[in-house]
Parts: sequence; C-alpha cells; structure tokens
Amino acid sequence: MSGERVIHGVVGSVGIAIGKAVRTFDPLFVSFNSRLRPDQLRKEVERFRGSVEKSREQLKRMQAELKRKSGPESSFLIDAHLLVLQDRLFVDRIIEKIETDYINSEWAIQQVSDDLFQAYDRLDDEYLRERRGDLEDIVRRLLHNLQAKALPSFKKLPYDAILIGKVVPPSTLFEMRTSRIVGLATETGSPLSHTAIMARSLEIPAVMGAAELSEVSSGDLLIVDGERGVVICSPSEETLAEYRSRDRDVRKLKKKNGGIASAPPVTEDGVQISLGANINFSEEVRGAISNGCESIGLYRTEFDFFREGKQPDEESLVADYSLVLKTARGAPVTFRTIDVGIDQKSWDGVNPSLGVRGLRFCLENTDLFKKQLRSLYRASVNGPTRILLPFVSTVDDLDAAREIIAEVQRELNLKRLKYDSTVPIGVMIETPAAAQTCDLMASRVDFFCLGTNDLIQYYLVIDRSDQSVVHLYNPFHPAILRCLHQVYTLLKPTGKPVTVCGEMAADPPSAAVLLGLGFTSLSVNLGAYSRIKRMIRSVSIAQLRELSGQILKMQKPKEIEEKVRATVYRS
Amino acid sequence: MIGHRLGLHARAAARLVQLSSKFQSSIIVFRSDAANSVEADARSILSILLLSAGYGSKVGVRATGEDEEQAVESICEYLAG
Repeated sequence: MSGERVIHGVVGSVGIAIGKAVRTFDPLFVSFNSRLRPDQLRKEVERFRGSVEKSREQLKRMQAELKRKSGPESSFLIDAHLLVLQDRLFVDRIIEKIETDYINSEWAIQQVSDDLFQAYDRLDDEYLRERRGDLEDIVRRLLHNLQAKALPSFKKLPYDAILIGKVVPPSTLFEMRTSRIVGLATETGSPLSHTAIMARSLEIPAVMGAAELSEVSSGDLLIVDGERGVVICSPSEETLAEYRSRDRDVRKLKKKNGGIASAPPVTEDGVQISLGANINFSEEVRGAISNGCESIGLYRTEFDFFREGKQPDEESLVADYSLVLKTARGAPVTFRTIDVGIDQKSWDGVNPSLGVRGLRFCLENTDLFKKQLRSLYRASVNGPTRILLPFVSTVDDLDAAREIIAEVQRELNLKRLKYDSTVPIGVMIETPAAAQTCDLMASRVDFFCLGTNDLIQYYLVIDRSDQSVVHLYNPFHPAILRCLHQVYTLLKPTGKPVTVCGEMAADPPSAAVLLGLGFTSLSVNLGAYSRIKRMIRSVSIAQLRELSGQILKMQKPKEIEEKVRATVYRS
Repeated sequence: MIGHRLGLHARAAARLVQLSSKFQSSIIVFRSDAANSVEADARSILSILLLSAGYGSKVGVRATGEDEEQAVESICEYLAG
C-alpha cells in the first residue's frame, strides 16, 4: 500500500501506538477435515477430550494470573470460557458427531460451532451477538491444542507489534501480553467487546470496528490513534513526526518515578493547577491512578451502565462503583450520572442532542435515576465520591433532581444503610441556558463542571456528528471565549469550584486560554494528560491573563488561534 | 412464570449455570412469552445465552429429580433478582 490512508473505527482503548502490523493467524478459517475408520474412533474421542482438558488448564492458569495482575474486573471473562468447556450442548455434541459421522475432532468442532454461530447471529440482542466472540475464542483454543502445537509463540514478533485481524480474541491478547505488543486494531467488534475490555485493563491502545483494515498486511507501518478512533496506514513523514512527539509524551508519563508523571502540575510562576483524568470505563481507573493522576475528574457512567445491553441490578452497581472507588485509592472520583442521546444517530429525523438527554432523561426515568443514586451513595463509603448531573438547563430541573436525591437519602436512612451524606453534588454547564444562569444554580450545588464539547456545539449551532459542518467547530470563536469569561465572572463571587472537562482542556493552546481566563482545574483524557501537564509547567499565569485580555477584544477565530499558538509554543 | 430483573447476560448466565450445577435434578429454563417457546438446559451456558432472555422477559423453570422442589425455588429466586 502506498500513500497515507486513514481508516475509521471507534476507540476501544485510549492511547497512541506506532508500530508494524502483525496479522493474527486464525485457525477458524483453516480446515483440517478427514474421515476415520471405525477402529480409530475411540482414540479420536480421547484426543478431543485431551484438548478440552488442556484448554481448561490453560484457562485456569490464565485466570489466576489475571486476577493477580489486573484485579477481578476482567477475570469473569474466563469463567464464561470455562463453562463452555463443560457445556454438554457443546462437548457431548462434538463427541456424538465424531462417533456417528466418522470424522476427526477438528471437523466435528467446526460443524457444531457453525450451528451455534448461526444461532447467535439470529439473535436480536446486540450484546448477546457479541458473545459469539467468546465461543470463537474457545473453538480457536481447542483447535490449537488439537494440533499439539503450543499456542503460537510470539518470540518472533517485532518489538513494536500492532496486532490486527478480523477479530483478536481477548485471551490471545492476554497471552501475548509481552511488551512487544504496543497496539491493537480489529476489523469488527466494538468498545463493548471483551477484547476491548481486555485492552483497557492492559492499557494497550486499541481501535475497533475498522473494517477497511482487511487491506492491510503484516509488516505495514501503522499508527493506532486511540483518541480519535482511527488507524493510519503508511503515514507520511509529517504525520509520523507529529504522532512520535505525542507518543514520547505518553511514554514519559508511563515512567512512574521521575519524568513528567511525578512532577506536579504547577505553572512557571508557581500557580497550582488541579489536573484530573476523564474515563468512560471502570477498567481505566487503575491505569489513571498508577500513572499519577490525582483525581478522576469525569467518569461517564452510561457506558458501563448499559454495558450488558440492559439495566444492571442495584447490587452489581454497588459492587462496581465500590471497586472503582477502591481502585482509585483515595483519589476523588466524579461520577457523572447517566447521559444518553450523545453521538447517537436518530432514525426518526429528530436531533437527539436537542432532545431528552442527561438530566431530562433521568427525570423521566426516575426509577433508573434513583437506582443509580442509591448505588452511588451506598458505594460512597469506599472513597471520596462526587455526583455530577449532566445537561441541566433550568433551576427547576435542578430542584427536581435535588428532591430525588433527598428522597434517596431518606430511603437509605430508613433502611439504616451506611453512606457518606456529604457527597458533593455538582452540575455540568454544557447548555447555553446553564452558562447564562450558573450563578442562579450556585446556591443549590457544591461544584460545577464545564463541558466544552456540548457548549461549543450548542453555542455555534454545529452538530458534532455532521461531517459537513464539523470544520466550523472552533473553541477560539469569540462567542465561546466571551461565554467562558462570563461563566468565570458569574461563578467567582459564589466561591464554588469549577473544573473544565471538555476537549478544549485537552489541547494545549485552548487549555492555555482556559488558564488565562482564570480556570484552575482541568480534567482530560488519559492520552492528553502528560501534554497538558507539560503545557502547564511551561507557561506563566500572569502572561496568559494578559493574553486572554487581548484575545477577548479580537474578532476572528483564526487570528485568535494563531496568537495563542505563538504565545504557548514560544517557550 | 416470573419476570426477572437481570437480563441473562454473560455474568448472570454464568452464575445461573454454576447455581444449577449444585442440584441433582435436570433443570429446564424456558421462555413463556407467547411468541417464544424456546427451552434451555440450565447447566448449559450456550443454551442459556441463546435463550436471549433480556430484562423483563418472562421465563419459567422446570425440574425433574430428587431435589426438584429446592432447585426450582432457588433458581426462581435467583432469576427474580
């Protein structure tokens, strides 16, 4: 392949990886069929049972190791695999096939699993269809073990391997977890697939569902951009240089003792900035904390909440949230209650981003909202918890939410359940209405978060998912700068803390503008953490204040952006 | 006939299989919604997953064997959440 090509997928696991493509071998697509004589049957069944036993041992070993290394959150994946190995619907049917059709184990496995795959594909439920991947993984393992070959040894991997394939099974990813694997990209799958869960707990950048990867072959140079959800094939020198500098930042962050990870986010003129991490999935907490993040500034809970396709029950929510807080080891975690309707395509022509979103949804579904609040409160005894309400547009909505929170607390008191009654409640400022009236909300809440992504979308009337207008999306628009300045000015006398957690905080020039406007708390995706920390350490607040005074008087986004860049990157 | 709060997904299905394996009786879980007359062996994770019983769907439990009553009782209790 010649010339740079960008392949679109979705983010599976955050981070940047640069390396060489390694296409994973897939025994599912190789046939090993042969007919047997009657006197060979007994030996063949034994051979099959042997591979089941061997697979079971491998999985048990893996499970023990996984529990030790990444904690309990991903080891349940192995449970499902072990249960398939003792499933009569599977194992007995394969033996029956061998004995009645006089065929070898591989062929029998393939026939039985093909029937099951078809049954999976007919299901209506997307989550359950994804579980087909677990069965594929088991079948692959059995086939490998039957061939009496060790699972492929990856000693021959290049030192910067990026695994690619139609699918890459979660167990393969774990078994090959040598430091040689720097990234992962698959043609199918989603952030909910078990491979993505595994990639996140091992902190390997991953892009899923990049269908056009099928044209990439082993050895091609690839960039996996786990921030934008794209894979870049045969990148140009220019692109490569840009990503290399971002990659270096991340590597520095990973060096635990020393480097930027242990340096505090303090500006050149001594102003302490609070810098938190944004996460979408509970598996990301461990990595954020071990890389020196001082808080989880935004945990978007809807991804985990709807992870299994349906609503979880209260007990498992309490267990999940408790685990998040324990894993955070004392670092405060801001849980944003369920937001829906973001980045979703609506089929009836209604624009969901202007519809029943965030708190509006929760107020219409109070059972679900109360269940989540109860779970958060019950988990709050495990560490500092903050609750953030998204998409608030009126004081009335806020009052209704506070009334529900009070009701939940009364219920917990009645049941004599332990919880932290001082959990701070915050509001997300992401609608123009909230930006204009945040001072009116201040007496009702303990803190604020500024969600710049939506704020910009609503202020500039640009649908973020519409490719034809996305280039107009610009944080340096004077309307945005004035809005942010106004929010800061309205909230300052109230003394309520504000954290900026949108993409604007994750890009050094626009983040510098935020500091200049007076904001002293930012929260960003893990991939942007070290570059923002480096920016903070290289700038002086006095200088940025002066800069923001100047740009507030300017007229054109382009000129504002150029001026900011010149100041921020001069040092 | 019961409505249960959990969709029978990976984790929940695994627990159901582990629970059912404690009993001697053979145990069948079936969809009792009119359109679906699917049955599943409660000890088979694959057939439980293929039952595709989401949140709020109606399922029934049937057991035959020595400990059939306890089996039905504790599985219903589990499914009801």
